[in-house]
Amino acid sequence: MSWAGPDDIFLSTSLATYLDKKLLVLLRDGRKLLGLLHSFDQFANVVLEGACERVIVGNLYCDIPLGLYVIRGENVVLIGELDLEKEELPPHMTAVSETEIKRAQKAEREATDLKGSMRKRMEFLDFD
Amino acid sequence: MKIKLTSASYSVRSIKFSFCSNLLAKPRKPSLFLGRGIEIILFFSYFKDLVGREVTVELKNDLAIRGTLHSVDQYLNIKLENTRVVDQDKYPHMLSVRNCFIRGSVVRYVQLPPDGVDIELLHDATRREARGG
Repeated sequence: MSWAGPDDIFLSTSLATYLDKKLLVLLRDGRKLLGLLHSFDQFANVVLEGACERVIVGNLYCDIPLGLYVIRGENVVLIGELDLEKEELPPHMTAVSETEIKRAQKAEREATDLKGSMRKRMEFLDFD
Repeated sequence: MKIKLTSASYSVRSIKFSFCSNLLAKPRKPSLFLGRGIEIILFFSYFKDLVGREVTVELKNDLAIRGTLHSVDQYLNIKLENTRVVDQDKYPHMLSVRNCFIRGSVVRYVQLPPDGVDIELLHDATRREARGG
């Protein structure tokens, strides 16, 4: 974050232009958090008000409310300003409940684990 | 901090301290060199010249974002405008994001327009840095 004076706030990478706006924050572990930017600092530490985590599995999604969140800057990948005029998600996606999405996440995780273990087994057999 | 001695005899009781006005000014800009040498400046200056050009930033998590370079800072954090994700179907959550701030530490590549690169200028600058460093 650059040291921006009041006059060059619009030309710098300062997050000040995002204050009180609805943001999408992508984290290093792949999580997507949405919320209003309350405050930030030079390390990109961020405080989100009314934060919720958007879990997406295939065509299903769910917003899990989290409340007030403080995010350590080193985990931040990207901070995107959501355009309120546009649709946040493609129309073919359906909203489901938290339990449903957790079940779908678990199924997806098991499928990738299975793929991984099958691959390991094939590698052991050392096919050319 | 300035020390003003008011009396000609320089007696201790008449020493007046006047604090420098710097303390009331805006925060001092941190050193741009970050203790890692002068090489950091080269890319910062280079990206500053590319502001307004269309670039594609590829992140370490494989997300690639195309947009107009709005600004860059000493940490090589990047702000993009008019963004679109390269593989939109894979990242549905990014559909309505038009401006974003990207932390410098997560950038893998910045893909530049071919005419945005003045090779000779870059070579000269690099040679200068190598000599000075």
